[in-house]
Amino acid sequence: MNKALLPILARLHSLQTVSHLSPDGGRLIASRSDPNPIIVVLREINETVLARVLHFTTEGGTSLTIEVAGRRILRVADAKGLEGAEPCLAAAVLEDEHKDTLIKLLQALAKPRQEIKLKVGSGTHGSDGISVGLPVALIADLLLVELNGLDAEVVSDVSPPPQVEPQAPIVPAVEGGSAIGRFARANGPVLMAWLILGGEEDGVFEGPEEMVEHLKTFLDDEIKDLTAQLDRLSAAPGQPICLGLGASLSEGHSLLCARAEGSILLGLAEGDCTQTLMQAWLSALQ
Amino acid sequence: MGVVEKLASVTAAYPQARAVAFADLSSSMVLASQGRANVTQEHLDRLCREARTSFDDPLFGLSVQAFGEPHSAIVMGPDSLRVFLRSEDDPADAICSVCDHGIDLTGFLAKLRETLHQISTGV
Repeated sequence: MNKALLPILARLHSLQTVSHLSPDGGRLIASRSDPNPIIVVLREINETVLARVLHFTTEGGTSLTIEVAGRRILRVADAKGLEGAEPCLAAAVLEDEHKDTLIKLLQALAKPRQEIKLKVGSGTHGSDGISVGLPVALIADLLLVELNGLDAEVVSDVSPPPQVEPQAPIVPAVEGGSAIGRFARANGPVLMAWLILGGEEDGVFEGPEEMVEHLKTFLDDEIKDLTAQLDRLSAAPGQPICLGLGASLSEGHSLLCARAEGSILLGLAEGDCTQTLMQAWLSALQ
Repeated sequence: MGVVEKLASVTAAYPQARAVAFADLSSSMVLASQGRANVTQEHLDRLCREARTSFDDPLFGLSVQAFGEPHSAIVMGPDSLRVFLRSEDDPADAICSVCDHGIDLTGFLAKLRETLHQISTGV
């Protein structure tokens, strides 16, 4: 067992949550109190969008290894202690004719009230354009399993507090200038010092010169690494993104770094910037 | 109330929250999560990586220089808002969330902070 897992397992135990980790490195997905574990087995498959090898083992000693990708079961790689697996094992790719056999295998594996563990390995098939194999939704339909029932089950025990309509903070409409400039100005006085680098408002700043000079020195020195940090938070390089960092964001000081249309803004906020931040961002992007 | 129920109370109070997860940033592992059914393990893993990136240099270093170690981060993109809070008691403990833009950010942050404190301290 990986020793690095020990403190994490201890933490899970102390949190008194259901541990999803088993000592051999897999995840425990069904317990002895679970009357219908085939539901979680199918949901695990359904949640696996990328190409993966899923290895299910039960405390009874049976196991099933399947290759999945794009919410489809591509093939059965191995089956232990499960009768009638041969047709599926012999198939290079599962097709419609194998669905009944596969259902029997899953039912034999996921017998009620037993522990089932799952280990996930890297798959060999890409998930792009997958059109072969058996869709897990089809298997779920045939077994009358609702794949997307998690929300209702888990949240139903928690009484939601009365909904309070959030008060829309008043963000003055700022017109003209670049998107990043509009964002800076729409934040109002809470953004006490800021500077824009690049784009049509390159070099524009507001705030005490000493602070702005500090921001400029940082941008000059760190622009490459800062751009890389923003890229790691974006869906695509260069995409509009804003990162705010602070002790609490609602009091004290915070840093704001935003990028849009090839410009980068770095600013220092003082006080509660949560009241205006989101509306300023959305209105600037419009 | 266990950690899962505590997270569920956040998503129940703020339906705009697509997912809320409690994570160990030192190992990049999501320990518990709640959210919409279409949030996959891959989404949660990515959310955890983004939390680490948010509390990373160079902006983290500037923050430490300017006013001290940050414990709150917000990431706004064109389509979503992500909020990451680190525990002041144990900075490896973090709560990570992705939500829709329409959320009451001030109230949501306060709720997340309270939840993280409860989980981290075992209250």
